[in-house]
Amino acid sequence: MIYPKKNRLFKWMVHTYVHWLTTRQFKEINFNAVEVDNSRSVLLIANHFSVWDTIILFRVNRKLLKKKFHVMMLESTALKEPFLKYAGGFSINKKTRDMVNSLDFAAKLLSDPNNLVLIFPQGKLYSNLITEVEFEKGIIQVIKKAAGNLQLIFAATFMENFDNLKPVANVHLVSVTDNNFNTISDLQQAYQQHYTNSRQQQIQIVK
Amino acid sequence: MRFRMRSYFNRLVVTSFTPKEGHSVLLLCNHFSWWDGLWGNYLAYWHLDRKLYIMMQEDHLRKRMLLNLFGGFSIDRTSREMIKSLQYAANLLNDSEKLVVVFPQGQLISNHTTEIVVEKGIERLIKNIKGPCQIVYSCALIDYFESLKPSVFFHLYDCGLAGELSFDELTAKINGFHQQALKDQINVAH
Repeated sequence: MIYPKKNRLFKWMVHTYVHWLTTRQFKEINFNAVEVDNSRSVLLIANHFSVWDTIILFRVNRKLLKKKFHVMMLESTALKEPFLKYAGGFSINKKTRDMVNSLDFAAKLLSDPNNLVLIFPQGKLYSNLITEVEFEKGIIQVIKKAAGNLQLIFAATFMENFDNLKPVANVHLVSVTDNNFNTISDLQQAYQQHYTNSRQQQIQIVK
Repeated sequence: MRFRMRSYFNRLVVTSFTPKEGHSVLLLCNHFSWWDGLWGNYLAYWHLDRKLYIMMQEDHLRKRMLLNLFGGFSIDRTSREMIKSLQYAANLLNDSEKLVVVFPQGQLISNHTTEIVVEKGIERLIKNIKGPCQIVYSCALIDYFESLKPSVFFHLYDCGLAGELSFDELTAKINGFHQQALKDQINVAH
């Protein structure tokens, strides 16, 4: 397993790079406000459609949630992009028993109220145009282990262009009040409801 | 144009499609971005092998009159001039070497929409075409996957020949094809 590393210089470089990249590539990144509980950590669950989703949510955290950013990613990605560990990235390998360590580590991070852990429960990249999401079951272990310490936030991100050459990213956030999910299908159903509502809002935009 | 496309997009993937010989092409496209017109040009030149003409909203064309030199002609949906624009488009399609791009939605709608609302003007346009004309629906969908640059996936479908299908049949076909494209997009290779 690859753990996140702390380095003030790299941290500054990552923040500067992400700021430069997002302002250059996007017309705007829109998100709605959610109330953040300072006494609890944040588990951010999001749809996974590109490398941009992590970058966009990194910015959202910087501007709105203001926690220490951590993201669970596939070991193959962590090995290919070694600098990501300085941006809070830690790895998971779904094929080995080491996966349990990664899930435990995510739960441990969530015991600190200053932390945020971003997880993409879909487990791999899907089109941004899908209507239904499917979760892999590992995340439910994290929620059970960190129960009581975390604030669960769902994020659904959609990209649009409209009358601009540069895209606009719309992030729909919702804070989940009751996060006592016993099974992965309960969690998936709750996320699906948020995803469908967000998608409906997205479709209604006309320019 | 090709350079601009290649530099901005990671991939431009077009489903295999051959237009009917000796027929003009009425290319109906979903409209969700500024790029749509440029993609029309790309498809006409590289894949459908026809001379491009493109119907644009008059206020949009007035802002970029340069596009007038590249096949752009205007339509103003709020005035009676609209009939002239539709007639002009129909006349262009009497020539089998020409292709006219029309956005049947008439305005910019999200790329995530599942339903394509076809404006009534298309009915008049199709009725006025006298020569052989193939109607093609192009559903462009954007995805990013592993790249920072977007990829565009063009799903092209043959809707039939002008004069051989009614407006309701055309609307139903376009919506059926759009749903199919969204399904295919989920399994697209990346």
